[in-house]
Amino acid sequence: MAAAAACGGEAAARPPLAFSPCDRRLLAVSGSDGRLRVWEAAGSRLRHEYVPSAHLSAACTCLAWAPPGGRPPPDKDGPQRKKRKSEAAEVDKQLDILAIGTAVGSILLYSTVKGELQSKLDGGHDNRINCVRWHQDNYCLYSCSEDKHIVEWNTQTCKVKCKWKGDNSSVSSLCISPDGKMLLSAGRTIKLWDLETKEVYRHFTGHATSVSSLMFTTVKPMNENKSFDGITGLYFLSGAIHDRLLSVWQIRSDRKEKNAVMSFTVTDEPTFIDLTVSEVKEEPVKLAVVCRDGQLHLFEHILNGYCKKPLTSNCTIQIATPGNDGDSTPKPVPILAAAFCTDKQSLLLVYGNTLQPIIERVSLNTSESHICLIRDVQKVLALKTDVAVTKVKTPVVNSDTKVLVPGIPGHSAAVKTPSSGKEKNKSKRKPGETEDSIEERLGALDIDVSKVKTPGGLPQTDSFAVLLVQGLESNDSDILNKVLNTRKETLIKNTVARMPIHAVIPLLHELTKRLQGNPYSASQMVRWLKCVFTLHASYLSTLPDLIPQLGMLYQLMESRVKTLQKLSRLNGRLFLLVTQVAASETVQDVTEVNQTAKLVYEDESSEEEGSDDEMIADKDSDENWDEDEEKEEQSEEQDMTVEKEINGDSDLEPENESEEE
Amino acid sequence: MVAAAALRVVCCGGSPLHGARAVFSADARYLLCTSGDFVKVYSAATEELVRVLRGHGGLVTGVRLNPHNRLQLYSSSLDGSIKLWDFTDGILIKTFTVGYKLLALYALASCEDSVFAIIPKRGGRDTFQLVSVKLTKTAGQDVEAKEFSVVLEGVDASPKCTAFGREGEYVASVKNFHLQVYFFKRKQLNRFSLRATNAKGGNNLFTCVACHPKEDCIATGHGDGKIRLWRNFYHNKEYVFSTLHWHHDRVMDLCFSIEGTSLLSGGVEAVLVQWHSGSDCKKDFLPRLGSAIEYISVSSDGTLYCTLHTDNRITIINSNLRFSKSIQGLIKARDVKTGLVVDPRTKALVLNGEPGHLQFYCLQSDKQLYSLDIVQQEYIQQAGLNQTDLVKVAFSAQGKWLATVEEREEEPDLELHLKLWFFDEETQSFKLNTQISMPHDDHITAMCFRDMDELEDDSLILVTAGKDCLFKVWVILEDTDPEAQQSLSWSCDFVGSYHNYQATNCCFSEDGSLLAVSFEETVTVWDSSTWDLKCTFCHPPGKIRDISFGRLTCSKYLIGATDHGFLCCWNLLSCALEWSAHLNVVVLQPDPLSEHIAAVSWLSKESSLFVFKPNEPRPICIQRNLCKERIQFAAFVPRDVPETIGSEKYLWLRRSQLYFFTDTQELMTFSTKPPEERLTVSSKQLAVEESLPVTPFSLLLGKHRHQQSQGDIDLTKVVRNRHEQDSPAVKELLHTPAHVLPSASFLCPIFINSLLISKEKKSAEEVADEVEMESEEAEEDSDEEKDVTEMEQENIKPMDLFGEITCKLSKAEEKELRKVRKMDYSWISAF
Repeated sequence: MAAAAACGGEAAARPPLAFSPCDRRLLAVSGSDGRLRVWEAAGSRLRHEYVPSAHLSAACTCLAWAPPGGRPPPDKDGPQRKKRKSEAAEVDKQLDILAIGTAVGSILLYSTVKGELQSKLDGGHDNRINCVRWHQDNYCLYSCSEDKHIVEWNTQTCKVKCKWKGDNSSVSSLCISPDGKMLLSAGRTIKLWDLETKEVYRHFTGHATSVSSLMFTTVKPMNENKSFDGITGLYFLSGAIHDRLLSVWQIRSDRKEKNAVMSFTVTDEPTFIDLTVSEVKEEPVKLAVVCRDGQLHLFEHILNGYCKKPLTSNCTIQIATPGNDGDSTPKPVPILAAAFCTDKQSLLLVYGNTLQPIIERVSLNTSESHICLIRDVQKVLALKTDVAVTKVKTPVVNSDTKVLVPGIPGHSAAVKTPSSGKEKNKSKRKPGETEDSIEERLGALDIDVSKVKTPGGLPQTDSFAVLLVQGLESNDSDILNKVLNTRKETLIKNTVARMPIHAVIPLLHELTKRLQGNPYSASQMVRWLKCVFTLHASYLSTLPDLIPQLGMLYQLMESRVKTLQKLSRLNGRLFLLVTQVAASETVQDVTEVNQTAKLVYEDESSEEEGSDDEMIADKDSDENWDEDEEKEEQSEEQDMTVEKEINGDSDLEPENESEEE
Repeated sequence: MVAAAALRVVCCGGSPLHGARAVFSADARYLLCTSGDFVKVYSAATEELVRVLRGHGGLVTGVRLNPHNRLQLYSSSLDGSIKLWDFTDGILIKTFTVGYKLLALYALASCEDSVFAIIPKRGGRDTFQLVSVKLTKTAGQDVEAKEFSVVLEGVDASPKCTAFGREGEYVASVKNFHLQVYFFKRKQLNRFSLRATNAKGGNNLFTCVACHPKEDCIATGHGDGKIRLWRNFYHNKEYVFSTLHWHHDRVMDLCFSIEGTSLLSGGVEAVLVQWHSGSDCKKDFLPRLGSAIEYISVSSDGTLYCTLHTDNRITIINSNLRFSKSIQGLIKARDVKTGLVVDPRTKALVLNGEPGHLQFYCLQSDKQLYSLDIVQQEYIQQAGLNQTDLVKVAFSAQGKWLATVEEREEEPDLELHLKLWFFDEETQSFKLNTQISMPHDDHITAMCFRDMDELEDDSLILVTAGKDCLFKVWVILEDTDPEAQQSLSWSCDFVGSYHNYQATNCCFSEDGSLLAVSFEETVTVWDSSTWDLKCTFCHPPGKIRDISFGRLTCSKYLIGATDHGFLCCWNLLSCALEWSAHLNVVVLQPDPLSEHIAAVSWLSKESSLFVFKPNEPRPICIQRNLCKERIQFAAFVPRDVPETIGSEKYLWLRRSQLYFFTDTQELMTFSTKPPEERLTVSSKQLAVEESLPVTPFSLLLGKHRHQQSQGDIDLTKVVRNRHEQDSPAVKELLHTPAHVLPSASFLCPIFINSLLISKEKKSAEEVADEVEMESEEAEEDSDEEKDVTEMEQENIKPMDLFGEITCKLSKAEEKELRKVRKMDYSWISAF
């Protein structure tokens, strides 16, 4: 694999950047402000920043990482070289030296480990450096420049080893052959040099404009039957500025062939190219080309001889902002560079701004021909900038997070029914609901609006029941609050006793909902629940769909009574015992109380006693309510004394009497 | 590669960085600190590891620069040797064998050939003595250094509790409630004691000591957070001390700045406090340093401070208390409960970090990638306060979902939260999707995702097993409530239990069709589509400690380890025990990319590794005596590129790398490479000669100097003038008391003579100066030379000042002076 920043060219709008070789851990970017920044690919964190002393006058034009670690210059062929690479990935060899070519013709060697300039190579060029390349094995550095020359440097001594004229015009790009014995150089035409003799070995037609990138795509010739001399049969790739075609050339033994073997077509001028070098015949070459328009094109092709038609990309990747808040239109985010990871399956994408690029690892999925990744660049950057002393990232916690607490459906199992009651409630919670609709509802409920005479003209507790039913039907929170917030046990008991049977389930749903809310109100609701269960247990047990209806409530209670379980059980038993005793004592009197004295029937058409009662309450004004409550409070005081004697849950008798007054 | 050498265990992270104070190199470019058995050299500018000095056979306990050669370093170790290094090139120069465990090392400029060390006292348990070790100058690499003399008895073992005073005149050492000061010249030992607790109930325990570099002042830190500044301690009775109090808990370390104008202190609050001129009211703070400060050190030029923290972090701070750099490897958490988990997205190792955080540790670069604040609660530094911490972490196969369990235990209540995080590609960060309070009523013992690569979200299943005798299955549901903001959320799908036994482990088979949950002694196997109990296995009487399904060709096997020391393999097709082995397995870890399963056993204080395939009871690889510490967790990390391994025996390391985590929180791995290949990473680095061009500034300065040396005669005159001030005549005049001086008439000619300039001498000196200047320019920019140039610059400055006054001495004035000299001053004596 090899990476090449599209360096060179007269109008390199994109600042030079270079991935560290082998494992692609670091990315060096020279921004337009002349500063050199080294970014970590994992987490796109800024490693460090270096400002060359002459960063404004001598801008950086090209970058190249020195090969990590070192070996005595070996005479090895393909397969062994491959091993070397995998080892390099394994053993954590430090990347250190970065060669920086400048616009005035000097080359800086910068140590990224020490964070300081190591040496300056001067005296080789007198014009802008277009490309620098390290030799893989012997630490020679090759540079080409606007001044038409190619220079070979000895980096140990920082002296010019050899300098020769490379072209009639400026030399814009260089590439060293996989075996390290040949050098490709290009201005407009491409030349292959023998590094030992510094003589031209082959000529290639090249491009109409100056070549911006050169790269070998294979390390071994595709037909293995011939003996391999290290260079014949290899393919290389070239791209030029203002040229939408990337050409592939083959080095042949016969000197005649000078034209491109095949070509790839892209949407705009290529600015950054990376490829995976194919080592076996069957393995396709994967090519990632970043264009000036910010798109990335991926090619996958098995190189095998001629191909007349230019190939189009297998996959195109674009990046855009989501554009949902603030500005509604998604904006494209330019891709700056892309590099294949060591596993050849995923791609490192560099996008955004050169001053603060975002580096992301994307796994390749070439089944689709066009991928648009949506990235919120602003937020990604915002998440990153608050890193100071510690590298703490705070994950996003929104209010729209679902919270499951014990008792909520989904917290424990057995709740698969999306409760029907809930849906009903929803339809009723529509905003258009007004008081009029309640009237309609009441009409629909078959409640006859008939003349009713209150026997004593006094408000009665059963009006609470009516109000409750109303509230439940209309889901009016005002009414419900008024009713459910009462604290008097006897009042609750009576209300529950007098409410119509069909309102029990809605009441239970309402209670369940309120139980999940404020703990203070939950303690209120428990009183109601207790009454409902003591009075209507028999009805509830007859319901066929009891489990789905009350499953949630059951779970809620389960989870709530977990603490002090034994104590609450004892309490429950005792309560049961006491009520039974009390009930057996008062069984004779109770029968009468509920129904007789309260109602006076004037109209023969009235069918439902309960509904008549409701109407009384309906007609009661608010002032009456207040009086009512006051009175009840008085009566309550009397009750309290009684209740104390009979252990809380006494008969209903005394209370009822007081209410009848 | 040729047949690989034996498998070697290599420590690759987490070794404690805070064995001793870090040391800056003389030019403050490098930071040297101990790290386990090594000394690491970091670049202070880039926080990169420049070099590792290997050679000690035990924990390194002290590093000191050689006071006589600033490019050399002494290091002491528990292996009983002191080594002298050239740290810039990583060369071991000499090894001095002392023969005792060395617990701390001090080097003084005033002692030519000896260093000080703390060694355990012979015979006495837990008593230590400070000794001076004579380092003989004999040639050779390995030198015996058996010659030592005891300086102080009964010192504390910690290097923080002993400090050397101004110019090595005295040594102060604290232990418990006593401070002892020993004066070398007078051979006098003063002891000062404090009461155990003071009136306000504070703890007077001494924790650390530091000596002022210029004055006679000792600063001591105390257990209650007070700092005492002791003065006048030459007298046993008339000593005085002042108190500085800001820290609320024990002072962990104290350090004076180079000039002694300010005192730095740090404690568990993770705040660096700078006290100015020893007063209580003037202080500066650098808060939020992350974790408790263990050591503080100052660079010799005073520009940088460095703090070492208890979580293995190094922070480099500018002298104006601005945070500069932070070097962070594997964070040392208080307790690692999550185990080792590999993030599929970044291939980072994920485990507990700071309290309530998850750290993502990059294995390749030995650096912390980032740490994720899961709990999002302020951590309060207070003893005895139970704080929420992470106990379980699981990633889905692609790293799209992250499940975390946090718990806070406040007897008898337990607070549990299960959080499900979704990786949002848009913002490139995790986003909380569902938070479940109290998913179980008791501790969660295990959690796993169903790993199914190819399937979409709706098949994703999370299983949690708890001590409340239940296991729960959580699935993603499309939310029916239109009010809900997000369309997907998690909810419970199934709750399973088995005879009211506590669920201890859970794991999915490779294809996701079966779920195995272990309940104490029994392993139950459930069908993941219907949640029916398929079969149960047990191997009484042992309780199941760990379970794992086989993979690939061995997917019909289920492996279980019991705490009665058996490793069992059950066949899922025949529902029978295939084989079992007597092995006390503490860690059972399957390789996600192959059939291999690694089992680590712990027997008689040593760990052994067994790698096997479930289809055969014979292990493929046995590695005995991995390390002395108990291994807590292990993890297989998939390699990017399969490694080429020569030996058949280690073929199981081809696809993934095995990492271990010991209970001392060190991360270990295996290396099949011969040691030298790993060792010489740094030496193989590209050797590029430093040939730096002169910077514009130095060019300017050089030119200026050149001009000065050539043109400005007056300046050189001044130089000489200064010299002549030091002439004996003037000295005598200035330093003799007035009442013994001879008459002024006698002194006057001598004085004036001394001010005059002789011409021959001048020219000679000028030439010499020029030569010096030129040679300076030619010199390269190495460190020693830098010092020289700095000195030169210092000399120039006062010259400039003086020059302005005296350069007006023209020839005429000179004549005048001569005239004056010839005049008769006898009349003065008349007065």
